[in-house]
Amino acid sequence: MSDEEGKIGAVMVVGGGIAGMQAALDLADTGYLVYVIDSSPSIGGAMAQLDKTFPTHDCAMCILSPKLVATGRHHNVKLMMASEIDAIEGEPGNFTVSVKRKARYVDEEKCTGCGLCTLRCPVEVRDEYNQGLKLRKAIYLKYPQAVPPVLTIDRDNCIGCGVCETQCVAGAINFSREEELVKVDIGSVILAPGFSGFDPGLKSEYGYGVFKNVLSSVELERMLSATGPYRGMVLRPSDGRMPKRMAFIQCVGSRDVQVGNPYCSSVCCMFAIKEAIIAKEHTPGLETHIFFMDMRAFGKEFDEYYIRAEEEHRVVFTRNTRVSSVSENPETNNLHLWYSEHGKMRREEYDIVVLSVGFDSPKDVEKLAEKLGIELNEHGFCQTDMFTPLDTSKPGIYVCGAFSSPKDIPDSVAQASGAACRAMSDIAGARGALVTAKEYPPEIDVSGQEPKVGVFVCHCGINIGGVLDVPSLAEYAKTLPNVVHAEDNLYTCSQDTQQRISEVVREKGLNRVVVASCTPRTHTTIFQNTLKEAGLNPYLFEMTNIRDQCSWVHMNDPERATEKGRTLIRMAVAKAALLEQLRPAEVEIVKSALVIGGGLSGMTAALELSKAGFDAHLVEKDSELGGLLRRIHYGLSGEDLQGFLKRLVKQVEDDDRIHVYTNAELKEVSGSVGNFTVVIDSEGEETETHQGVIIVATGGEEYEPTEYLYGKDPRVMTQLEFEEKLAKEGEIDAKCIVMVHCVGSRTAERPYCSRVCCTESVKNALRVKEMDPGIAIYSLFRDMRTYGFREEFYREAAEKGVVFVRFLEENEPVVRVDDQGRLEVIVLDDILQEELLINPDYLVLAAATLPARGNEELSRMLKVPLNSQGFFLEAHMKLRPLDFATDGIFLCGLAHLPKFFEENVSQACGAVSRALSILSQDTLEGEAIIAVVDESKCRGCGVCVDTCEFGAPSLKQLEDGRQVSHIDEALCKGCGSCSVNCCNKAISMGYFGTGQILSMIESCFPETETPPAEKEVAEVKEVTET
Amino acid sequence: MDKENVKRLISDMGAHDCVECGKCTTVCPVTRFNPEFAPRLVVVKALAGEDMDLSKDSDIWVCNTCEMCNNMCPYEVDYSGFIRGMRGEARREGHEPDCTQGGLLHAMMRIMANSDLPQKRLDWIADGLKVAEKGDVFLFVGCLPQMDAIFEDRNLNLVETARSAVRIMNHIGIEPVVSPKEKCCGHDLNWAGDEKNLIKLMNHNVQVIKDSGAKTVVFTCPECLRTFDLDYQDFLGDFEFEMVHISEFIARAIEEGKLKFPENISISTTFHDSCRLGRHLGLYDEPRRVLAEIPSVELVELEKNREAATCCGVSGFMSCNSISKVMQMEKMQDAKRTGADVLVTPCPKCRIHLDCSTRDETPVDKGLVDIPIMDFTVLVDLALRGELQIPDVQDKEAEKEAEKTE
Amino acid sequence: MTEAMAPAKEEGFQPSILAFCCNWCSYAGADLAGVSRLQYPVNVKVLRVMCSGRVDPYFVMRALELGADGVLITGCEIGDCHYISGNVKAKERFERLSKLLDQIGIGSERIRLEWISASDGIKFAELMEEFTEHITNLGPSPLKGSATGGV
Repeated sequence: MSDEEGKIGAVMVVGGGIAGMQAALDLADTGYLVYVIDSSPSIGGAMAQLDKTFPTHDCAMCILSPKLVATGRHHNVKLMMASEIDAIEGEPGNFTVSVKRKARYVDEEKCTGCGLCTLRCPVEVRDEYNQGLKLRKAIYLKYPQAVPPVLTIDRDNCIGCGVCETQCVAGAINFSREEELVKVDIGSVILAPGFSGFDPGLKSEYGYGVFKNVLSSVELERMLSATGPYRGMVLRPSDGRMPKRMAFIQCVGSRDVQVGNPYCSSVCCMFAIKEAIIAKEHTPGLETHIFFMDMRAFGKEFDEYYIRAEEEHRVVFTRNTRVSSVSENPETNNLHLWYSEHGKMRREEYDIVVLSVGFDSPKDVEKLAEKLGIELNEHGFCQTDMFTPLDTSKPGIYVCGAFSSPKDIPDSVAQASGAACRAMSDIAGARGALVTAKEYPPEIDVSGQEPKVGVFVCHCGINIGGVLDVPSLAEYAKTLPNVVHAEDNLYTCSQDTQQRISEVVREKGLNRVVVASCTPRTHTTIFQNTLKEAGLNPYLFEMTNIRDQCSWVHMNDPERATEKGRTLIRMAVAKAALLEQLRPAEVEIVKSALVIGGGLSGMTAALELSKAGFDAHLVEKDSELGGLLRRIHYGLSGEDLQGFLKRLVKQVEDDDRIHVYTNAELKEVSGSVGNFTVVIDSEGEETETHQGVIIVATGGEEYEPTEYLYGKDPRVMTQLEFEEKLAKEGEIDAKCIVMVHCVGSRTAERPYCSRVCCTESVKNALRVKEMDPGIAIYSLFRDMRTYGFREEFYREAAEKGVVFVRFLEENEPVVRVDDQGRLEVIVLDDILQEELLINPDYLVLAAATLPARGNEELSRMLKVPLNSQGFFLEAHMKLRPLDFATDGIFLCGLAHLPKFFEENVSQACGAVSRALSILSQDTLEGEAIIAVVDESKCRGCGVCVDTCEFGAPSLKQLEDGRQVSHIDEALCKGCGSCSVNCCNKAISMGYFGTGQILSMIESCFPETETPPAEKEVAEVKEVTET
Repeated sequence: MDKENVKRLISDMGAHDCVECGKCTTVCPVTRFNPEFAPRLVVVKALAGEDMDLSKDSDIWVCNTCEMCNNMCPYEVDYSGFIRGMRGEARREGHEPDCTQGGLLHAMMRIMANSDLPQKRLDWIADGLKVAEKGDVFLFVGCLPQMDAIFEDRNLNLVETARSAVRIMNHIGIEPVVSPKEKCCGHDLNWAGDEKNLIKLMNHNVQVIKDSGAKTVVFTCPECLRTFDLDYQDFLGDFEFEMVHISEFIARAIEEGKLKFPENISISTTFHDSCRLGRHLGLYDEPRRVLAEIPSVELVELEKNREAATCCGVSGFMSCNSISKVMQMEKMQDAKRTGADVLVTPCPKCRIHLDCSTRDETPVDKGLVDIPIMDFTVLVDLALRGELQIPDVQDKEAEKEAEKTE
Repeated sequence: MTEAMAPAKEEGFQPSILAFCCNWCSYAGADLAGVSRLQYPVNVKVLRVMCSGRVDPYFVMRALELGADGVLITGCEIGDCHYISGNVKAKERFERLSKLLDQIGIGSERIRLEWISASDGIKFAELMEEFTEHITNLGPSPLKGSATGGV
């Protein structure tokens, strides 16, 4: 079970939400066995409840469900649902965990997820997934796309009538199941239990649970979803009418000392904007109104989204406001919302009030913490350290996602990869020890053989057989061209039928197999494995869906549904006859990584790569390592960053696996994932190296202001310069200091938020107050964006007398030197509506963080995109924050977006985790379904190169001088767009070939077949005679 | 394969007369880049009768049917005609050519052949253009509007050719008949061996023209003209109506003193002899005579002109491969070398193909091929209106930039 | 267009419709309609492709040529494409094809491009219902039985 050091190559991930799934997939792809445990009957977590995601409005289920399927189907991932940790013993690298597994009362091996039992179950109870806005049965699937697709009996509500048992043809119901205790040996643990929503009933002044039309933001989210209670419509619970006016109250259970949640929940501002926009889209004429204190739009493209919400979608925003109470007009059930504006109480009336509920720590987390022996912070979230943001207080146990602090999806996903990287580093020696590749018989080469198709038609119990005449479909299949065998099965996916398919393949010499049953999206792999076991290439398989898209949706028309089934089978058989053997491309992996940028992110990445046993080539453009961190001296809690940096640099320089290039830049990059050829110019000398992956960590730089007399008056400086002054001088001679926020950020030219400067200002203000509490500090801000636990430092600063003055974008402070030579700052305080005149000794500017200067050139060299602001643009803003669309290239740190120290560390670890899933393999298996070029038909026009988003095609020169398209098999994703754009159809696709698709189309409309040749000749004669 | 059919083809196309002198091979543009192919060999194989699997042979599909070979043959063997016949044989056996756009255009033509759908093919008629339902002159528009839809992303504006033709005719007091019932001439189907659908289209089109009462049919597209003049009449005998290319029509009008050109800016042009107009139909002088009559328009001949002119690389929207690209590059380089401002083509299809060849990646430096391409009819119309100007080279990069800023 | 070609509504006419669905969103939406047991007319047959960007205009034209009464192309919502921009390309091609079909008289109303997300089971079922009715009202394809084989 373990390697020579006694380490175990397995990891337990606690929590199956988006963070847990990402961590599990990274680990599993890298060669570790993963146990995912979750108290819920299925994975998916909070994201599964979402309709859309901000700021891109991606459909949550569209992007989540491939992850669900990948996690559920991964051969290195074991799901332990409805389970919790009972005890843990051992040490890092070698733990034994006792897991308490609750009974589902449904046998996971037997249940096919058909859901027939649910249809007949007589008990209806509150559906938690839909926030109680809908009912579910006592035997249920949490949501339609749930993984594993296995039902669960809710014994608290089950009346034990046994109807489900009579319905289940698979015999999966088992009432006698009991809770069991299972012991699992693992090397490390990752905690990703997420969060629990704040109970809005605790804010009694808002009337949640009392007034019917007060909803939580999660309830509204379910309403907005097409799978929600009203098919995506927003309706007033009191009377079912469509609302005309809707208000959102922010910070319900956040930034609220009274309810014990002084921290900011980080996501609710954007969440509310998203809901306000989507609700308007779903409800004609709806006005939406958001009441908030500060708009915390600190993520990528968030401020742009905020602006669009206001300007394009006409969402109304009222700032500076904590709504004091909500009351109801009992006759109309309309709600009155009371708030103060510029010191005056005001009242507005709404049809619906939505409470933007904050994040609480996960339910029952104290129990879990006690069992694991990890420390929680004062708010019940996981205690972490600035330098090791992914480590809990107990070695070997790591943390990611909302449990370490409230955060959104991309930050959770990045952290999850980071935690996976940390979890791997304890057990690097045991990588691959517990994962065994399945052995298959050698593949029979069927090329050149006449097609011999076998067709297997599934009854799926009565799911298909109860509607379609399945035996007649099998009989019909026998009459189709190339079919040499057809039969019907009770369950084609059952173990015994799969064995039977293997036998039939061998006995009858089948070389193509068609299964007509359920959806290929979930079942293709199962049958492909059956083919492999029978010695056939897995791509000689075609599946057609006569259940989800036939019997289930045409229950009242069995005759025509059967006819449709015949057509679907005819189409599948036609395609099957043309199927070809496909083999995924194999690329040899160079076991070394290039890291571009030698700042905090780059160095962290290099060190983590080394810990995992791989070489890292670290390229730094300056003469020394450290990047922007060289200018940052202390953390929020006074941590010594320069000391840390020294140690970090030494560690990097002492590491044999890390090759540092200073005064260096990239000259040339070619090749693709697995083997990039890189030419590095360092100290004027060129080196050519081969690298398996590339991590972009180019960092950023501080904006050099042109505003507020900067550069013209020595008393005006940036926050970094001010920090340097404080750190070096250890004291400050001043009576008054003014800080101005958003200098160069959130402007027309640079609409993004630089994320760190509010906190940086608070940090320096606190430092000054520590040196001399008598110094007056004015902090002039637009929105205070001290999200997460940073909020407490903001409060502390306010308590220590720092004066925070809000100004509006249109009322920027005016700075000049008065006639006595003093600095003079004039600003309109938006809250008090008063103009202030201050004469500070120093004016400190929170200058924007800019992308690194070389990004543009690097983007061209690597062929990866930048966003409009010059930061690198990841493959997917929600679920692939550290990947580029081009495989084998990753990003982290300020190259992605301005961010904090601990976020950079998390991302750097995360990028390494993503990279390790490639580096850990000897060869990389590409997609099998990819574009194929017929060079004799290619004219080398390059349209495919322009079409592809993944950089797969390029033009190559043949020996005869012709230019033709060449597909990098490692990069092609198989979408087929190039094939369509190729004018001469020189490009076709594996498995979705032009001829294959056409054969399906032609067999879909069989009544119009090509007339025989004689007829053609006859027509010619007839015409010539006239 | 039907041996009788092949025998008949051999005798119809004069293939017996081949003495294997090999002249056809020396001029064949396909042979130059694909030494496996030779027009003569196709015939030789058929004559020997040994390889009756010829229809599976890719050779019959790679030929560009440019008739360079026919033109060179001292014994007047119709190699292109023979290949067309063999394609018909191949189709009867279920073999298909590779069509560009996946066969979209051919499917469109088959649909036209086999249905009588109410088409919307006259949307291009702009304000001020005068057309009639019946009359002496019929303007056969062909598939210009459909090509504009299919190649919309290229902004070719092919229908401008039809508009120009009408304007020129209006200028001399003719209101041509344009018919919404007109269908594709079937040229591409014919050359893809689909004679059956060609005949359906032929019967329909001939009827439409007869119903219009026209005495003269004017074609802006040499492919349509060839199909009517040679192929249709082959089946149906001589028509009572006359068929002319727009260049013949204009040349005649100039001779009769009906067209006078105003002053224009000076433009130097070079002229592409399309295969259909030149070698297939022998019309070399008429377009040149017209260009000579336009004041301030100068004609610089391509190095390879008239009978020796090279092909635009693709015919019948079949097999547009790297050989096509090389042929196109040579043509464009030849044109650029002349130093002319524009390359004028009398064939809209040639314009599509030549435009395509320089839009995307080119195997030679872009500067060697960046000469704008202009339709002959459009040029004459602009000159007639005194609005002649040198068009821009299609610049894909610029178009992309423009899209972004939108 | 419609008014020009609307043939007399045929009694008992059951249109034959082909739907191209992308693997990631719209096919998943179709599956969800099934899981939710939403009932819709049997007339539509789904052909799964990886991306709506795989649907060649010729595929659609070929289906129509062979007598399809209607053709649907469905993909992920704009922005949700699994391959970043396949659906955007599908849209451009669809618009060009629509123009062509209008010109040659088949009428673009026989084809439809729709975005269906993985959670849009209801939208999928409603689309099946609505499009089938729409095509039923248009009547049988004028090309039915006229096809003569092709490429």
